[in-house]
Amino acid sequence: MPPSIHPVDLILALREKHLTPAIVFLTSRRACDEAMQAFDHSHIFLPPPRQEAIAAVLDKVIAQYPSIAEHPLIPTVSRIGVAAHHAGHLPSWKIAVEELMRHGCLDAVFATTTLAAGVDFPARTVIITQSSIRKSRDFMDLTIGEVQQIAGRAGRRGKDLVGFAIVTPSPYIDLTVLTKGFTGHPEAINSQFLISYPMVLNLLKAHPLDQIQSILAKSFAQFQLNQRAEVLERKLDELRDQMEPFGPRVCTDWITEWQTFDQVRRQKSHRAPVRRHEPPEVAARFHFLTPGRVVGFGKSRGVVLRQYRSKGQKSPMVTALRQGGGITESPSSTVTEVSDRILDCVDAPVYPWCTPESVEDLLRQLDELPTRLPELPILIPKDNEPIPDAIVQTLGDFACPTCPSRAACQSDYPLASKLRQEQQRHIKSIQALRTSLWHRFQEKIDVLQQFGYLSPTSRLTDDGEWARLIRIDHSLLITELLRADAFNGADPAMLAAVMSSIAHDDDRPGAFPRVSSGLGSLLGQVRKLAVSLAPHEDPPLLRADIAAVTERWIGDPSLTWIGLCKSTTMAEGDIYRLLARTLEFLSQLRTLKGTHPGLADSASRAIAALRRGVLEELP
Amino acid sequence: MTTEELEQLLAQQPIALLHRLARGRVQRHFRAGKRRLIEVLLRHSAENRPGFESDLQTLIGEREARPAPAPAQAPAARKPKPAAAPRRSPYKPFEPESQEPGITLSSWLEGLGVPPPQTFVPDAWQEDAIAKLREGDVVVSVPTGSGKTYVAVEAARRAIAENRTVIYTSPLKALSNTKYTEFSKIFGADQVGILTGDRRDNGQAPLLIMTTEILRNLLYDAGGGEIDVRLDTLGLVILDESQYIADPERGVVWEETIIFCPSQAKLLLLSASIGNPHDIADWLTTIRPTPCHLIKHSTRTVPLRAGYLHPNGKLAPLFRTVGIPHGHPGHLHPEAKRLFEQYEDETLPSGRRR
Repeated sequence: MPPSIHPVDLILALREKHLTPAIVFLTSRRACDEAMQAFDHSHIFLPPPRQEAIAAVLDKVIAQYPSIAEHPLIPTVSRIGVAAHHAGHLPSWKIAVEELMRHGCLDAVFATTTLAAGVDFPARTVIITQSSIRKSRDFMDLTIGEVQQIAGRAGRRGKDLVGFAIVTPSPYIDLTVLTKGFTGHPEAINSQFLISYPMVLNLLKAHPLDQIQSILAKSFAQFQLNQRAEVLERKLDELRDQMEPFGPRVCTDWITEWQTFDQVRRQKSHRAPVRRHEPPEVAARFHFLTPGRVVGFGKSRGVVLRQYRSKGQKSPMVTALRQGGGITESPSSTVTEVSDRILDCVDAPVYPWCTPESVEDLLRQLDELPTRLPELPILIPKDNEPIPDAIVQTLGDFACPTCPSRAACQSDYPLASKLRQEQQRHIKSIQALRTSLWHRFQEKIDVLQQFGYLSPTSRLTDDGEWARLIRIDHSLLITELLRADAFNGADPAMLAAVMSSIAHDDDRPGAFPRVSSGLGSLLGQVRKLAVSLAPHEDPPLLRADIAAVTERWIGDPSLTWIGLCKSTTMAEGDIYRLLARTLEFLSQLRTLKGTHPGLADSASRAIAALRRGVLEELP
Repeated sequence: MTTEELEQLLAQQPIALLHRLARGRVQRHFRAGKRRLIEVLLRHSAENRPGFESDLQTLIGEREARPAPAPAQAPAARKPKPAAAPRRSPYKPFEPESQEPGITLSSWLEGLGVPPPQTFVPDAWQEDAIAKLREGDVVVSVPTGSGKTYVAVEAARRAIAENRTVIYTSPLKALSNTKYTEFSKIFGADQVGILTGDRRDNGQAPLLIMTTEILRNLLYDAGGGEIDVRLDTLGLVILDESQYIADPERGVVWEETIIFCPSQAKLLLLSASIGNPHDIADWLTTIRPTPCHLIKHSTRTVPLRAGYLHPNGKLAPLFRTVGIPHGHPGHLHPEAKRLFEQYEDETLPSGRRR
């Protein structure tokens, strides 16, 4: 079976069920382009009247935007009634496709899911082929909100009675993501309050420092942080109620008191002879396994010759003389019976731990013993055995060992301390939630003070006054470049090229024109500065190949749009976006007329040179 | 909490919890092992420490609050599979399978077609939104394609009639351009202007279209003393697609715009369906002089149906019901389910389901 439906079959199936017009959301631009290529050799032409309608609409759009007159997709669009619409296309082409859709001329549009929000035209049907989308270099599952946004394009008001969202599988589809997306309630949205340098400068320009906190408090971020803090506070109240029964006892803060006492006690007992995890009965019996004691090992019987603790594990051991004459070393836990009978035996310091005569004597006595012997009554203490006197003495500073509420403290301590830890954690988190925005703001203030955009009293310095007009990404890098006079003597093409390499944040690889040596060395300087600023601002990609595209476009006024597109493998739409973004950056530099007249002039000239051909078409 | 403490706390959590925590924070988190995941989470947490910590606490809390897996029940009681089996294959329905058969394809396709032409009658919520805008700010959260634009157009029309300036913002330049064309047709070209990063067309028009960033910059300049005269006459600010407030990079621009929006101007926030529109409305009420009204509904104007198209061209309804069974993602149509399972069996490496 094919991994996914063939585009031609898809269109045929949709036409047959009268489910057109449809928007087909595909994984990537490439998938859209390949889908369009699939129609090259198909013969599912539209009836002539519809082909004419498409041509008529296209003619109108071309009259407005001549750049798309030669668009390679036009034959497929007008004969078959399908089109592709993605970020690799020029905005004018996308406008043409949208216009065609609005007139109901097309049967299907292939679009990328990534740009679903930018697809602002409805259809009768949407086709969903995937459950994840590419978000900044990675694939992530669609959220419920996104699935509904995509499915929401189905069903045109006034033109359809019902809309259809149709899932067709492709590799890597996860149907549950989509069914949940269709049937679920959209996710709650959360504030993403990113504090930027221009924001700090502009706020401080308009408001004194002591008002900032109240402005930040008005943000949705703080509103949501407060909501969280309130939840925590409610939990804190609950915890307080739970703590109620553990209120003051003999000492007001018994938890701390017990905690320190317990710690000291543990430390002490650690140094005292090891009492490992022995069952209480083994520990209790061990005291009675003295030389001469008659003990039972399951079915056989023996006489203890000595007791000791093993070297490594310090487990209690006994050496015993067994019936039949064997001398064994065994863990004391193997002793099953401790009788109330002690046989006479003469100790010896070495193996067999008693005199050879007494061995024989003992063996004889063992055999003579009656089959039943009285058992030694051994009291097995509960877990919390009393603290040995020796330790109590070293703990003289604590009242706990003799305190009347000691038993209660000991049993309540684990729960009470857990509750109190949680309480303290909540208190800390609440504090952090209430003040985090302000702290983040202060961090930025510190950096700006360090670089001299703000005075120590957090007033804007002369540099700060103009720097606040740069309200774009990587503003710190740009303002630092201006202060370092990096663009002194750089011509408009170089300036624009550097700006575009700062603006461009896509690492899609490709083949690009060569970069001139002057631009190369300038970019080297910019890169050095960007790296040194890395602790305060993420460095941009600074791709030299991207800069070269802009440099060529500005440097060579006779270069046509087609010529520019041919010099690189970048998609038309990407080049357009790159240049449009460069324009935006340059127009910010143009506002620095007062302080940097040379730069502003250079930026104006770059803008004038940039804005020609396709870039002139759109507002 | 210090970083070491946080690291320890993270290390104590089961990997599933870490993955839940990483969702939306870390990309490809499902690929990372535990140690790597903790490392990345810690690095990420530097940006919004308290938020991260409180999320972590909530997750831990939820986990503790969840009852321990039920002990083995009597065999008789176990017969109908419990709704939330601890481990289930992802394609098992979440609810006990109902025996009711799915609808037929023809009844699913029924009703397809073009409605008879009708004179446009605004929906009740649209009227409501416009009326409420007289009293204060309005947040509209309705499904895509419900007719938010109508509200924007009518609200703008009334504000313009009162000689007020209206600013309409959208998140994307392309959308701005589309709206510029659209509004120019409705109001007349001389009534509509557009401001982009490097160009202004008809900047003195009563209805100005711009991206939200441009409006934010205007408000910055107004705050810095360089007062733009039009802000005095500003009567209405329409923020379209305002769910962008949650955009990781640009969301802050929406917040700033709303915070600094002059108090005499009304705010109209148009948003797609989101989970917590009341939060936005409550927030606006706390920071704006007038209370904010929330207009919210989730029924679509044109009903939606979900289908499944097999690569061999076979079409089936996706759910057992004609419409979308809200809240019941497991109500898959038997036919769609069978076809999809067949697809998985044939396309995925043998013996391994994703």
